[in-house]
Amino acid sequence: MTTRFSDRLLDSLASFFEALLRFLPALAAAMLIFFLGLLAGWVLRRVVTHFLRVTRFDRACDGAGLLQLLARADIRTPPSVLVGRGVFWLVFASFTMAAMAALQVSFIDQLVAEFFLYVPRVLSALLVVLAGFLLGGFLARAALLTAANAGLPSPRLLALVVKLLVSVIALAMALEQLRIATSIVLAAFIIAFGSVMLGLALAFGLGGREVARRLLERHLEQPQNQDSDNLSHL
Amino acid sequence: MTNADLSFLSDKLRDQLGEVGQADILVGIPSYNNARTIGHVVQAVQAGLARHFPHQRAVLLNSDGGSTDGTPQVVQEASAPSQDTILARHPLRAVHRIVTPYHGLPGKGSALRTVFGAAVVLSAKACAVVDADLRSITPEWIELLLQPVLANGFDFIAPLYHRHKYDGTITNSIVYPLTRALYGVRVRQPIGGDFGFSGRLAHHYLQHDVWFSDVARFGIDIWMTTTAITGGFRIGQAFLGAKIHDAKDPSVDLSAMLAQVTGSVFSLMEEHAARWATVRESKPVPVFGFEYAVGLEPVRVNVGRMLERFRGAVRELEEILSLALAKDTWHAVRQLAARGDDHFTYPPELWVRTVYDFAAAHHHRALHRDLLLRALTPLYLGRTAAFVIQMEHADAAEVEAALEELCLAFERDKPYLVHRWKNREDPP
Repeated sequence: MTTRFSDRLLDSLASFFEALLRFLPALAAAMLIFFLGLLAGWVLRRVVTHFLRVTRFDRACDGAGLLQLLARADIRTPPSVLVGRGVFWLVFASFTMAAMAALQVSFIDQLVAEFFLYVPRVLSALLVVLAGFLLGGFLARAALLTAANAGLPSPRLLALVVKLLVSVIALAMALEQLRIATSIVLAAFIIAFGSVMLGLALAFGLGGREVARRLLERHLEQPQNQDSDNLSHL
Repeated sequence: MTNADLSFLSDKLRDQLGEVGQADILVGIPSYNNARTIGHVVQAVQAGLARHFPHQRAVLLNSDGGSTDGTPQVVQEASAPSQDTILARHPLRAVHRIVTPYHGLPGKGSALRTVFGAAVVLSAKACAVVDADLRSITPEWIELLLQPVLANGFDFIAPLYHRHKYDGTITNSIVYPLTRALYGVRVRQPIGGDFGFSGRLAHHYLQHDVWFSDVARFGIDIWMTTTAITGGFRIGQAFLGAKIHDAKDPSVDLSAMLAQVTGSVFSLMEEHAARWATVRESKPVPVFGFEYAVGLEPVRVNVGRMLERFRGAVRELEEILSLALAKDTWHAVRQLAARGDDHFTYPPELWVRTVYDFAAAHHHRALHRDLLLRALTPLYLGRTAAFVIQMEHADAAEVEAALEELCLAFERDKPYLVHRWKNREDPP
């Protein structure tokens, strides 16, 4: 009885040590990959940040109004540094996942596979949000200038509406990319967008009827209006 | 002199030019839907050539942008004026008349490229281009634009007009003083539109690869003037009298027009930065022709509406104007907006800073260039309104004196521009 127990104990211990001996190289490899990830992330962060500084990325962001937006969120870090940090964390997370895969644990393998399948979606969602922000900023400024130069009322409100619309569209597209509550996001987007448009149509059609009439009258009467300019600017 | 690439000329045009052979004079008329006025322009050109250059072999080339109102037919059918009533002597040579559509981007630049190409093919000694919408052109214009090239060895003749004191405000408040301060040459109408030039200069123009840029569309006038200046060509001016042209389409947006003109000037500044940075002061340019007073059509200006736009923009466009202007300039502009209509002024020194700040912002791409250029419109309206208020009771001489003062302010403050051009940040 005692012999059988000790045999089994020894067998178990032998199996454990055998498993441990099998696991240790994998662990060492995982740790190596982990530290390599740290190193690669650090190097790439430096390279990307330097490249963005050389190509005046911060100035371009300043021109696009991104710095102002970051300042409003109390973020004073230059965009080139922020992108560099993003690259670091992306590289580091990828290497960490690879390190975990090196451990050859079945449920971790599945997790890692899902992570790598999801990364492109996260990247494309980020790109969509960034493009939406830049496009929204540009279109909002264009609307602001056009409205101000044409003497239309409330140019800033018009610009804000343009920016909001583009941002909402970009956000909905990004969430769709991330597959987060796709059907709810789609329904919410359709309802929200439709409501805004309907609201604008009603506001302009009912509330702004007089304004619309005055604008049209002014526009149509302009050629006959003796108060208008006839100087040649060129 | 290297050979110019003339592959852009159509085979038909080459054949037509080949039939003519060599010509001494080429007069180009770029057109697009100018059926109403181009007949008169063609007649004036024909009369001018017959009267003043009867011994020269001349070609009239209409380079058309696909008019749909029968402009080419009007050119073909425009009869030469009666020789008994107009001409002092009978022409010895007939004027060849060619009508051709141009190729490339739609715009005056592409039309003139065809004229330059034809000048090279014909080995023309002297060329002139006149706008197709002119109502005040006379046969003497042709003599004044061509004679200095043929007889005096000049390469580029810019026009000099008498205009109403409120007319040509973009030229007067931006293009002339800026071009003068930058390149040190006093060409009074750098975007006049009617020019004389030598065949040598036409060849030089064709050496530049600008025909798919904004130059091909609308920046051709300032490009021709600037290229002639920076190329070291002999430049003169010809007094042509009054410039009256067909009424512009009222739908043409001032903001777009201003953006096109200033964008062209600023882009040329990029190209010639090394040259203009060292230029100080300016020199006059010889003037041909007899200056005389002319009757001018009255001009209506709605100062109240200009000021309304200016104040509205200062109120609404802070996020854009604060990026375009230096801190001190922006502060001063905001103070202006608070003044009443009667006491409104836009001092020359502040206007100079405004233009220089915009040029530097354009260079440093402080924000998207098209948006930046459009943001200048309300400030330009403010400056124009101030000028109209200031000059309400002034005569032509006093107006010219005020413009001269503005030009000197541009020249005095040029070191500021050079500094801002090199440094993105505000000066200390």
